[in-house]
Amino acid sequence: MRKLILQYKQAWASLKKKPGFVLTVLMTMGITLGALLCVVTLNYLLLVEPLPYPEQERLFVAEHGLIGAKKETKAVAYTYPGLVHLYKSKQAFEQASMMMYGQDVIVSHSSQPLVNIAYVTPDLHQILASPMALGRMFEASEALDTNNPVAMLSYNTWMQEYNGSADILEKKISLSGVSYHIVGVLAEHFVEPELEIIGRKTQVWLPWDYNQAGKWQRQAFDNINGSLKFIGLLKQEVSQSQAQQLLTPLVNDRWQAGLPGDDDFFKGWTINMHVRSVKDRILGESESIAVMLLAGVVGLVLIACANISNLFMARTAEKQRQMAIQAAIGATKKHLFKAMFAETSLLMFMSIILALVLAQFGFYIMQQYLGAILPRVNELSLTPITFASAVLVTIIFALFFAKLSTRMINYRALNTTLQSSGKGSGLQVSKKTRQVLIASQVALATVLVFANFSLLKDAVKTINAPIGFATDNISTLILNFSSSDIPSQEEAKPIMAEIMEKLEALPQVESLAQGNSPLDGFWVRALTSVANNEKYTPFFKSVDHHYFNMIEQPILQGDNFTMAQRQDGANVMIVNQAFAKQLKADGDVLGMQISTGRPDSFKIIGIVKDITIPGDSPTDRDSSALGSGVPRVYVPNGLGGQSFMLKLKSGQTVSRKQLGTLLAEVDSRYSVFSFNAASAILTQTLFAEITTAVTTTVLASLVFLLAGIGLYGILSYGTQLRRFEIGARMAIGATRKHLITMIIGDNTKAVLAGFIGSIVLFALAYISLSEYIQPFLTWQVLPMVVATLVLIILVTLFACYWPLRQYINKAAIYSLRGSD
Amino acid sequence: MTIPIIKVQQLDKVFSTDDMLTHALQGIDLEIQPGEYLSISGPSGCGKSTLLSIMGLLDFPTTGKLFFEGEDISQLSLEQAAAIRNKKIGFIFQQFNLIDELSIFENVALPLRYAMEPVSDKKIKERVDYCLDIVGMTSKAKRRPTQLSGGQQQCIAIARALVAEPSILLVDEPTGNLDSKSSDQIMATLQTLNDQGTTLCIVTHDIRYAEMAKRKVYLLDGQVLGQTQF
Ligand SMILES: Nc1ncnc2c1ncn2[C@@H]1O[C@H](COP(=O)(O)OP(=O)(O)OP(=O)(O)O)[C@@H](O)[C@H]1O
Ligand SMILES: [Mg+2]
Repeated sequence: MRKLILQYKQAWASLKKKPGFVLTVLMTMGITLGALLCVVTLNYLLLVEPLPYPEQERLFVAEHGLIGAKKETKAVAYTYPGLVHLYKSKQAFEQASMMMYGQDVIVSHSSQPLVNIAYVTPDLHQILASPMALGRMFEASEALDTNNPVAMLSYNTWMQEYNGSADILEKKISLSGVSYHIVGVLAEHFVEPELEIIGRKTQVWLPWDYNQAGKWQRQAFDNINGSLKFIGLLKQEVSQSQAQQLLTPLVNDRWQAGLPGDDDFFKGWTINMHVRSVKDRILGESESIAVMLLAGVVGLVLIACANISNLFMARTAEKQRQMAIQAAIGATKKHLFKAMFAETSLLMFMSIILALVLAQFGFYIMQQYLGAILPRVNELSLTPITFASAVLVTIIFALFFAKLSTRMINYRALNTTLQSSGKGSGLQVSKKTRQVLIASQVALATVLVFANFSLLKDAVKTINAPIGFATDNISTLILNFSSSDIPSQEEAKPIMAEIMEKLEALPQVESLAQGNSPLDGFWVRALTSVANNEKYTPFFKSVDHHYFNMIEQPILQGDNFTMAQRQDGANVMIVNQAFAKQLKADGDVLGMQISTGRPDSFKIIGIVKDITIPGDSPTDRDSSALGSGVPRVYVPNGLGGQSFMLKLKSGQTVSRKQLGTLLAEVDSRYSVFSFNAASAILTQTLFAEITTAVTTTVLASLVFLLAGIGLYGILSYGTQLRRFEIGARMAIGATRKHLITMIIGDNTKAVLAGFIGSIVLFALAYISLSEYIQPFLTWQVLPMVVATLVLIILVTLFACYWPLRQYINKAAIYSLRGSD
Repeated sequence: MTIPIIKVQQLDKVFSTDDMLTHALQGIDLEIQPGEYLSISGPSGCGKSTLLSIMGLLDFPTTGKLFFEGEDISQLSLEQAAAIRNKKIGFIFQQFNLIDELSIFENVALPLRYAMEPVSDKKIKERVDYCLDIVGMTSKAKRRPTQLSGGQQQCIAIARALVAEPSILLVDEPTGNLDSKSSDQIMATLQTLNDQGTTLCIVTHDIRYAEMAKRKVYLLDGQVLGQTQF
């Protein structure tokens, strides 16, 4: 034991003399292992760790797939009556819950916040065994068709909106004209299954009966809604595939029977039920993100490892003589390995401590920025798995580096080292070894830096892609109606007219349109071309006659809508270029008749330019094959719509409160549902891309930093190893210029060899992965190649000069003697 | 009276390490005349190597004056010092200090490659061949230093020191790493060079070799203890 302590004391003393070396190892391994621990923990959480619910292995969702006549999946979403039918049938599942996601305004609250709602049957929280902070969860009294107005709050809502007030269970909240008794608050550690949008947190839970589906929707088998979900505990004796076989005919038969007889749009379509585990559903596509992150970080660790290996080999070369002396006085190979291991394990131990600190910081960053991309990140923390991986990694790397270093020692030749050379020649490491080390480092750095540049460029391209419409100073105002007897379009018309008059009179408002912005979403509508009976499912939106002007979307052919058409509910339609092309190859579609399934068909009166909404992709494969934009159609909206686009004068703002007051003056039943700037919605839509860009930037900078450190490390070590040679050259009259030129010249050869090596690596990658790489190979890569080369050259020049300066700016004797 | 090649006056050298000051040289006065054969000896640590490296412009004095061929060179820049070392001074070290990755020929040619006025390849070849001949190593020109014995390496170092036709050879323990036979050979070669007119200043603590010099200087604790002239 005392011997061991002594060994570590010696290792520490020896390391203390090389602060640069220690710092390089610490930073490199600390940063990369920190990233590794972070991503390993994430992968473990997502791929292995069970969900925090009892019997989570029996927790499944049933998905409702609409299958087209050609057996292709058209959509995955429930019809309202189909879901209720499934729920009532009680098949395959021991207990199951219906869910609908939505948003609403808490009108009873002074700040009238817009909150996320989930409408659920009592089964949900019973299945999840949701822990409560206060009160009770939904019970039989809130079962289907009981119409019992009670509510549960999330812990955060209780804290933030109600300051955690103790008498919360005596309070009521009202939304959309219904006043709900608060019966419970969920516990802080309750984890909501992210079944819809990753990162969405339900703030208020309401009984299913109060969901936002209209009377008509509750009966419609020809209307699907993506926010409807079905989750439950599968019966013990029923397998996943048995459940699917059981449920598919059950739901399909009811659907076929329920479809309106006069509608042949769905002819030949069927329903296919897909039962999958909740864990699988939550993981979704995140699995590939998580695994790719892991792959990226493992790559990072590999470069770091290569860097550090180079350093350790250089260090062994330097210590060769010292080891020769130890060998001469009787140290065995094992002794030397132990001494080396003491050093490497000490270094790795320090690195892993730093890594754990950085991992903790990484979790925080992930929770802040990746919460909308990756599920379950809120559950991230330093777990036993993190610590176990840390210990494992420490031991593996310490052993690896110690082995590598001691392997380099030619034990038999140690004595020769001692006999033949004085300090001058014994320390000269062969030029070939040095150059191979530098070349491999450059090759690695070049490939990685280039790959990262390319990734970054892609993400930035998506972010900067032109959307084709204006968002500046445009905001969408959506009204909330706080009563349960919703007015008809006819009743609403005069109220909306008055509201618009008042809005337009606001001094900040430049112009106004009825209807919401392109970023607030499109519907999907089933359409049939009257001429040839072809079916289409383009994106669909009803807009007013100001819409295209306000967002500056050009009308290329034909006319805009008119006020008269809106008043009469005229059957006219404007389509975009993409849909025009889909309808007719030459895009000449003015005057064409399009049927919506109702008796009167729509006439195309105009064609507008395509717009790009980030993340929107065509609804069916046929149109994406066309390669161009997403097909969209527009029809005139009625005058009773409750949403508006406000274009403000530049530099002006209007507050939610001001709008609320304005609305209340017209009709106290109306309040603000949401008021969002289009540019803010756009940023939100781009969030995934921005996060990718940020992540790649961080990774790219890390890679560059590491590659830079590695390159610097090896070049500077190369120079340090040459100090006696440099001294000898100085003694015979070499000037600073001679030496700088010599070092740069020698290193340039190695760097060039490295570049050639990287080209070979690329060629190999190209041969094996040509289909992935081909699209990258355009002239556009040239600037990136140049940027990569310039960066590498700059680092090289710096790494040539900086370590050299300590020798060439001092009297020659310092280099010759080897004293500092 | 001829101008001395090297003259030092009241030379002091102080090394400061961590918390200790070492007075390596104190008030040294010394002259080396052209054609002289001077030996500096004394116990280990008395400052011999320090004195030699200051005289050879490898290091700088803390205080005191240094003249080279009559010129005051106490205040030289690193570049100027390099130029003088290159042209006027030849060094021979205990540990040879040959460059492993260069051939023997290139090792010997190196000072000419660093010369201020470029030397033609033809001239370089002439000089290198000539100097290798002097030390009897012509046959080894294409080899590498690691392929030679210690004695042979020191011969190459002598050839390298001679190649730029310096005014003086400064030699620090040339035989410290060699067996007695090689040592004798090296000392004989140096003796011959001096006989032919080369100025020599040699540091050694081998009494036998110190005795071979025409003038001997003894150092003790950084001070000149005495001089003997033959
Ligand atoms: N770079 C340095 N830093 C600190 N002290 C030094 C340094 N170089 C030499 N010394 C000290 O200066 C004194 C003279 O050293 P020097 O190398 O000149 O001795 P020397 O006479 O050549 O000895 P040896 O016969 O053992 O070679 C010694 O005490 C030594 O410790
Ligand atoms: Mg000495």
